[in-house]
Amino acid sequence: MPSVANSKDSVHRIGNDAEFSAPTSFYEPTERIENIKAELLASPYSICLERPVLLDKFWHSRDYSPHDHYLVKRAKALAYVFSHRKPRIYNHELIIGNMTSKRIAANYYPEGGSINILEDIFRLEKRAVPLHLSPREKLHLFYLGIRNLKRSVGWEAFLKHPGRISYLINNTFLAQRYFVTEVAGISHQAGNYWNIVHHGLRRADEIARTCLETKKLIDGTPLNDDQIAFYNAIRITIDGICKMAANLADEAERLAALPETSPERSKELQELAGICRHVPYNPARTFWEGLQSCWLMHIIMNLEDYEQGLSWGRLDQILYPLYLRDIEEGRLNPEKAVELIASFQLKCCETMPLFSKRIDQFFSGNTVGQGITLGGTDVEGHDVTNELSALFLDAYAQILTREPNIHVRIHEHTPDWLLEKAVEVLQMGNGSPALFGDKAIVRALENAGMTREHARDYAVIGCVELGSQGRTYNSSDAALFNLPLCLELALNRGRKFSSGFLPGKRLGPVTPPVSAMKTFDDVVKAYREQVASVVDEAVKVIGWLENAYRKIRTSPVNSIMTEGCLEKGYDITSGSARYDFTSLQIVGLADVADSLYAIKKLVYEDKRLTLEEFTQILKNNYKGHEVLRTEIISRFPHYGNGNPEVDYMMQVAVDAFTDAVTAHRNTRGGQYLVGVYSMTCNVPFGKATGAMPNGRLAGQVLSNGLSSSNGADRTGPTAALRSAAFVDNLNFGNCLALNIKFDKKVVANRAGKKAVAALFRSYLVDQGGMQVQVNMIDSDLLRKAKENPAAYPGLLVRVAGYCAYFKDLPPDVQDEIIARTEYGG
Amino acid sequence: MLYDSKKERHQPLVLSVQHFCLQDGPGVRSVIFFKGCPLRCVWCHNPESWSMYPELAFKKHLCINCGYCMDICPEKAIKSPGHWDRERCRLCFTCVQNCPSGALEGLGLEQSVESILESLRPEYTYYKNSGGGVTFSGGEPTLFSGFAAELADRLRSEGVHLAAETCGLFNLDGIVPRDNSKILAKSRDSAREVWNFLSKLDLILFDIKIFDDVKHRQFCGTGNSRIKYNLETLAVLGHNHTGPPVWPRLPLIPDITNTTENLVEWGRFLRKINLPYLTLVPYHRLGESKREWIQIKKGLNIRDLNNGDLETAKAILKSEGITCYSPGEEEWTRLSEMG
Ligand code: SF4
Ligand code: SF4
Repeated sequence: MPSVANSKDSVHRIGNDAEFSAPTSFYEPTERIENIKAELLASPYSICLERPVLLDKFWHSRDYSPHDHYLVKRAKALAYVFSHRKPRIYNHELIIGNMTSKRIAANYYPEGGSINILEDIFRLEKRAVPLHLSPREKLHLFYLGIRNLKRSVGWEAFLKHPGRISYLINNTFLAQRYFVTEVAGISHQAGNYWNIVHHGLRRADEIARTCLETKKLIDGTPLNDDQIAFYNAIRITIDGICKMAANLADEAERLAALPETSPERSKELQELAGICRHVPYNPARTFWEGLQSCWLMHIIMNLEDYEQGLSWGRLDQILYPLYLRDIEEGRLNPEKAVELIASFQLKCCETMPLFSKRIDQFFSGNTVGQGITLGGTDVEGHDVTNELSALFLDAYAQILTREPNIHVRIHEHTPDWLLEKAVEVLQMGNGSPALFGDKAIVRALENAGMTREHARDYAVIGCVELGSQGRTYNSSDAALFNLPLCLELALNRGRKFSSGFLPGKRLGPVTPPVSAMKTFDDVVKAYREQVASVVDEAVKVIGWLENAYRKIRTSPVNSIMTEGCLEKGYDITSGSARYDFTSLQIVGLADVADSLYAIKKLVYEDKRLTLEEFTQILKNNYKGHEVLRTEIISRFPHYGNGNPEVDYMMQVAVDAFTDAVTAHRNTRGGQYLVGVYSMTCNVPFGKATGAMPNGRLAGQVLSNGLSSSNGADRTGPTAALRSAAFVDNLNFGNCLALNIKFDKKVVANRAGKKAVAALFRSYLVDQGGMQVQVNMIDSDLLRKAKENPAAYPGLLVRVAGYCAYFKDLPPDVQDEIIARTEYGG
Repeated sequence: MLYDSKKERHQPLVLSVQHFCLQDGPGVRSVIFFKGCPLRCVWCHNPESWSMYPELAFKKHLCINCGYCMDICPEKAIKSPGHWDRERCRLCFTCVQNCPSGALEGLGLEQSVESILESLRPEYTYYKNSGGGVTFSGGEPTLFSGFAAELADRLRSEGVHLAAETCGLFNLDGIVPRDNSKILAKSRDSAREVWNFLSKLDLILFDIKIFDDVKHRQFCGTGNSRIKYNLETLAVLGHNHTGPPVWPRLPLIPDITNTTENLVEWGRFLRKINLPYLTLVPYHRLGESKREWIQIKKGLNIRDLNNGDLETAKAILKSEGITCYSPGEEEWTRLSEMG
């Protein structure tokens, strides 16, 4: 019986044994790369109807049997989509396989969250980033959405149960206290690409076949009906994948034979056809095959669940043996490898998310977060930075597009050249790569229950989230929480502030009135109670979704890509992954910290006013108390300036959340984790939140991730990093996002590059920092871009953990970017 | 008046300690700005560092016109926001403490060696990873050599790389035997104190301005023969490793320091004393707003540098054998060329 990929296999030790000279200069992009990029930048955004049409066809065809086991039903549906898609190969590309039926489009998931776009379907052209869809297509989409409503998770988890509909409305439509992202899907995965590249799907197929033949699990336990269905589903799925690859190969051959195809291109296409007949079912034999295999499985992952956070993880490690062999045997040189990688990375631009205008506020930037993790250590902690780590950065430097998301792991023995190269790419001004501190992350993942070895083999999922690569099922972006609103509710007995006679809307439990809060601890207690209550509620809602996924939206592909599922014979949605988590995120942390400090100082230490008086001022949005507000903003210490007294309040604010979250387990038996990042939810959540004790007015934007509140970091980046490192990140098993913006002018030269590299080494290695991401821009440019977005189509900024085109951001998010402190001025 | 201007001050005032400075020596540095300077350069962008005494500053754009300052001033010195009677004000800074907006600011804090160390220590990790350290600046740090030496000693013992930015106007009499007979004992003592500080440094950033003595008096308020002497002396000491290496810097002020004549003369001088490198610091107008804060009259109307000015200056100096650098882009390894 073939063995299942185990840790020994996928946590290899390669890298530093081979000596190579540290690459310091960048390769120029080839004409091919320039051409592909130009075509992509010129392509409009759209929605692809192929997937929903095929699903609809399948559901109403003879292939669909309502009597099939639900796992088989789902596998058949997916395999039908895989094998019936029309292959499309574009000019020049070296990695083939179309993500959708259009050059750039969002896939549509009728069984999941895509249905939200129907809110906007007849005004798509009026969006900030117009979506191009013909009237016919619109009607068709609308029809498909309505016709298949009952096959959606939304139906299964909410609409079917009359008592739950109000939750759907409150938590996605009117989201104020929290926003449940998991309504759209789970995805967010750095699958076992080591296995795919080096063993192919064949290994999974053989395991499934053997288990079915012997009617036993690998460990000899007899199979039950669900397990039989599971292994059948795996085989059906793999069959569908192979058909998709074969169709692509056919198309490549067809194009190769066309008279207008140049002989060189024809030769390439023939080669590509050969590759697609071989991978992903078989192990890749060359670097090119390895990349192509990864790309095909990425399409499949996208077609299964939904598009968010699907990542490759540690490609510089996974592909390194193939790269070395190709170099040794003279098939490849670094320059050619860069071209292949660049072509691969450009494929990432073919996809985009599908958010209605309402939801786009929460996740602006048209980013899906296709992560590639570079550098880091092996399972024993030895540095494995290698030449490919450099070449992936080189390739990214050539394209500088909104996708993929490049992540660089930094630890004590990370060579200086990698960090400096990463900073050099950052200086190109597109906000990528983000940097991750191995020390803090390994510690947090161990704390979350991983072995040290598996923690060291972590990869970044999507924007900043974490998983041990190929071993983890982390619903890493399950929901986001508005912590400042919890403080508001704590100051008003569970109701929102209202300045009129009518009481504000009740959103939380009844906590003691402010008049009864005799000490600062009483305030913290009420805040903690509000936080715990909102977390409880979200966990309940997420539980409904988990049950719905288990029934109607299982994940055979993800089960192949994740260690544990094939061994146990259960779908990943039933908790069969080696590690299972659900992660909840924070918005507005620094605002709460600064507010707690202001309350403590004004009310309990200096006794300048009572908490009742202060609360009344907040209810009136500081009207008549502008001087007090100015004083709090200008004279009070704020988080982000290296002041331990107020930095400590961050700990108080976040502990409330951590304690509430980590007390829960999801319905798969997995631990709940905390992530300190906000996407762009700080804007819509801010609109829903009243005035705060830190001087923030009602409706204003909230702070983001672990960053300080807007304009509050005045002491420079060294203090900001120190403050961030002050907050204990042991419990941030889903990582954090810290935004730092540098004035491009100051760090534009060699000395600036070295200084910034040193700064991040201090933060990530010496101070145990977890993550940092950088906007290296000048505000003049941003202001110009805001006035005339069309003139800057390629301008990128980093928004909370991912980068996006500035033109794609709504005006208030643009404003926020401009307002964030620029250092070095 | 709270402070007697006649009385000599030994405890220096610190304007601020700034971190993540990239243009004041190698690596990531913290810069300590002392308050007090013997020169009065018309283009100065830190005019608040001229006086050794505390000053009240007013940043108009921050003021919200609440009037608290007027009510609270014990001397009733403030007539309206931003307008106070200097005769009455005794610099108690009560107004500063109560100004909600930060528009009023007290400049010049008395700080102990210990409290400065406290604010620097968290930065050590950045120095370590970048090859940076601490730079003494101002104002003129050698005015406070006793205090600075004490601080330098402590920092050195904690392994911190030290630099100073100096205007060059200090007393080095008798440090290098020259014309010993004429030196008064008091003068020699003060020179020893300065040298005791400077000799602890790893690098001296030496600002030069106008070569011509008469013009130097006109634009900087003093003659410059002592400055030239000191530069030459420090260069000699640096070359024979009895003193820290020296790196000269020249602010490029349109029509004042940025004249062919001035550049050529400095170029020749630098080559003579074997310092073939120089940082050119382009002029900027940031000092103007600071003049308004402390309400001293506007400096000369200095035009901005023209586009080609910097390149022209570099070319002139190059023809004299001097390599020029922009701040933050120096090749510090060249310091080992000394000696
Ligand atoms: S106290 Fe400050 S803000 Fe108020 S009037 Fe005076 S200077 Fe202006
Ligand atoms: S410092 Fe301010 S409060 Fe004190 S005397 Fe002067 S003006 Fe009045």
